[in-house]
Amino acid sequence: MAYLEMQGITKLYPTSGVLANDAVDLTVEKKEIHAIIGENGAGKSTLMKLLYGLERPDAGEIRFRGEKAVIKDPLAANRLGIGMVHQHFKLVPNFTVAENVVLASEPMKKGLFIDRQTAIRDVGKVIEEHGFSIDPKRRVQDLTVGQMQQVEIVKMLYRNAELLILDEPTSVLTEQEIERLFETLRSLIERDRTILLITHKLEEVMRMSDRVTVMRKGRVVADRETAQVDKQELSRLMVGKDILLEVHRAPKTPGEPVLELQDITISVRGQERPLLDKVSFQVRGGEIVGIAGVGGNGLAEVEDVIGGLRRTTSGKVILHGEDVTCLSPGQLREVGLAYVPADRLQRGASLPTSVRENCIVTKHHDFLRAGVLKGRSIREFTKRLIEHFSIDAAEGMRAGNLSGGNIQKMILARELAADTDFILFSEPTWGLDIASSQFVYERMLELRERGAGVLLISSNLDEIMGLADIILVMYRGRVVGRLENAEALSKQTIGEYMLGLRDDSPCEPIASEVRRG
Amino acid sequence: MIPRASPSPQRSAVDKRRAAHLLSSSTGLALTIGIAFAIVVILILILSNEPGRAIYYFFIGPFTKAYYFGNMLNQSIPLILTGLGIAVAFRSSTFNLGGEGQAYAGALAATVILLAMPTMPGIVGIMTAVVGAVVIGAFLAGLSGFFNMRWGTDTLISSFLISAAVILVVDYFVTGPLDDPASSMMRTRAIAEQFRFLRIYAPSKLDVSIFFAAALAIGTYFFMQRTHWGYEMRMCGINREFSRYAGIHVGKYLVVPMAISGGFHGLAGSVTLMGTHYSCLKGVTMGIGWNGIAVALIAKNNPIAVIPAALFFAYLDAGARAAMLHSDVTVELAKIGQAVIFFLVTAQALYGLYNSRKKKVAA
Repeated sequence: MAYLEMQGITKLYPTSGVLANDAVDLTVEKKEIHAIIGENGAGKSTLMKLLYGLERPDAGEIRFRGEKAVIKDPLAANRLGIGMVHQHFKLVPNFTVAENVVLASEPMKKGLFIDRQTAIRDVGKVIEEHGFSIDPKRRVQDLTVGQMQQVEIVKMLYRNAELLILDEPTSVLTEQEIERLFETLRSLIERDRTILLITHKLEEVMRMSDRVTVMRKGRVVADRETAQVDKQELSRLMVGKDILLEVHRAPKTPGEPVLELQDITISVRGQERPLLDKVSFQVRGGEIVGIAGVGGNGLAEVEDVIGGLRRTTSGKVILHGEDVTCLSPGQLREVGLAYVPADRLQRGASLPTSVRENCIVTKHHDFLRAGVLKGRSIREFTKRLIEHFSIDAAEGMRAGNLSGGNIQKMILARELAADTDFILFSEPTWGLDIASSQFVYERMLELRERGAGVLLISSNLDEIMGLADIILVMYRGRVVGRLENAEALSKQTIGEYMLGLRDDSPCEPIASEVRRG
Repeated sequence: MIPRASPSPQRSAVDKRRAAHLLSSSTGLALTIGIAFAIVVILILILSNEPGRAIYYFFIGPFTKAYYFGNMLNQSIPLILTGLGIAVAFRSSTFNLGGEGQAYAGALAATVILLAMPTMPGIVGIMTAVVGAVVIGAFLAGLSGFFNMRWGTDTLISSFLISAAVILVVDYFVTGPLDDPASSMMRTRAIAEQFRFLRIYAPSKLDVSIFFAAALAIGTYFFMQRTHWGYEMRMCGINREFSRYAGIHVGKYLVVPMAISGGFHGLAGSVTLMGTHYSCLKGVTMGIGWNGIAVALIAKNNPIAVIPAALFFAYLDAGARAAMLHSDVTVELAKIGQAVIFFLVTAQALYGLYNSRKKKVAA
């Protein structure tokens, strides 16, 4: 009997229609470090949320230590001995280490007062036992990020967790801190603990884990002994086989550059690594440039910079020959920017308002007579868009009542109506069904045909390979590969760039190779 | 992830949720008012020796005499104006809690202007006083908006604090330099005859400004729904991220709605002065700022609905006054009723806010 068995776990998010886990099976043995890898949206975090009681599965069974377990909330998980260290720590900054650790299970004095001395002593004992080096009396706000993570681990150990789930534990750590963490995990295994490690970093999987489960699109695609796979195979499993999209991309000679990024850098105070590191590229008229990458490697930042929603530390953005680095989103739109954002529910649309009001937001200045909106022409304009893009909606309907695909069509309709020579698409088909995706692809190809420059930011490799003329790959805030999309290019190659196994960028210093270990 | 194309059950679920929300909000309002009335009745039963009479006058009193009825309408005028001010601010997701100070400062500004130039023709004086009051109110509230745009200061806190200080400053002027030595009350001298609003329903204090207040409510509705500024303000209020993305100057709309809101409060102060009191008493506008918040919340920030909401609030007050005159209860009864409503309505509104935030975090 395995230590932990999850069988047929299925989870559907009804609001977005996304099947995050589709009959997932997972078996974990006692005292192993079991890695779960997959791209963003592969379903690994959802699976862990189900195990930790943050979400309830729609179907499937969890057996823990041979017994069927119904985990209805994190407290129930704690009682069973399951603990989770979240990617974003859940600590109270102005509480001490000990106070944070005992929070919600404080030792009491006379049933009324918190017994601080006991708390400090007990927490100190856990810290000592596991060889950590944090003072239980210090305030959490004074700790380093690595130490905060230790506090989270101590918190779970204090609650006698035997199975620890670590969600992307290394994403915020420095190299030395990562080393420390690995030592900690090893010593935990020696103390009969079992560890589930969620990550998308192959390096860590290879170094740390005994077993690895690969997830893709909500399913488990492989379950292997780490010793029997190599990085190339894992990367291939993560990204999947080449799927040809049913799109026809006619050859076309690109025209003049419409958008150019020159050495765009974003540094954040207190962070060693810049979010964007000298990102340079250009998009020419009549071509589709695709940016691929795993989430968290700078794709969202590139989107924000081009959309005018984020200030850069250095570098220049040039749109239609004009330096637009410091312009506001409104000014950018005047210069000629159309932009379909990744976050379509918060940024791309205003769900509580009508379709009409959503459609005119970027160009409502055109519908004014003496400061008053012209109701009839707005209605006509909206009706035209609805018809043209076959949106299943009425102009007065609340945008929030539309389906995901129709919301995206509405955004698309609005942005294309601006008729600009440059348009940015970020994750344009995320969560859409095949038909809606196809619709988006066709519009993009039409734009290319018309001679507009299209930038496609996407974590979906199939659509990038199906549509883009040039493929840029980002890793850790840098453009590590610039590839012509030719026959010879395989998904596997791109996957290797995405996961940092390949790097063409000239400014790659040797030091960073060392840092990555 | 595997997307599922199933829009229809999804949509009906959304519709159902929306209907449930509507239902709960309107039953919630009825419940609120019901509880307030129930508490008033219970208090009367406890406190009064002639509860039947007190209850009769509380509920029916305001309609029994022209004097009561007219005064009730008159009382609703400043409430309509402050309610509109709050509705505009809340619609834009800026929070003006400084209405008291803004209205009081408006009343003082109007007084100073009219006392300084007692020989001006009526309409010129009134216009000047109104402009002065609106400007000072808009300035005080706009300041909070500006701080928010510049440094991210919470308008909720800053508008309240500024207002709290302003009230003391106005108190100083009313009881100090501008105090009328001839009066035993703490008040300024009275404004000249030609500046006083025309009374239209003798013997009550109801004056012609009620028509202007009602017209302003309709105008505000039009402004918010149909004009360029109103549209941008609403969009910013609903979703700032979306508005910024679409190119709307979101910083501006942290200041503009606050300034408009303050302007309405200043106006309310000056209208009370020229329509009802004729001289600036210490605390002349007390209550209209806070009650404006309750009025706007009851009206769900809809400018048209502000009119009935303000009338309802004035009715509570008028009922208590009538009950006081014809039986043995005191006017505090209405205050308790209003306080209960204020409490429940605010709780309801905050609960909605809390829920929407929770949903956002969960998503």
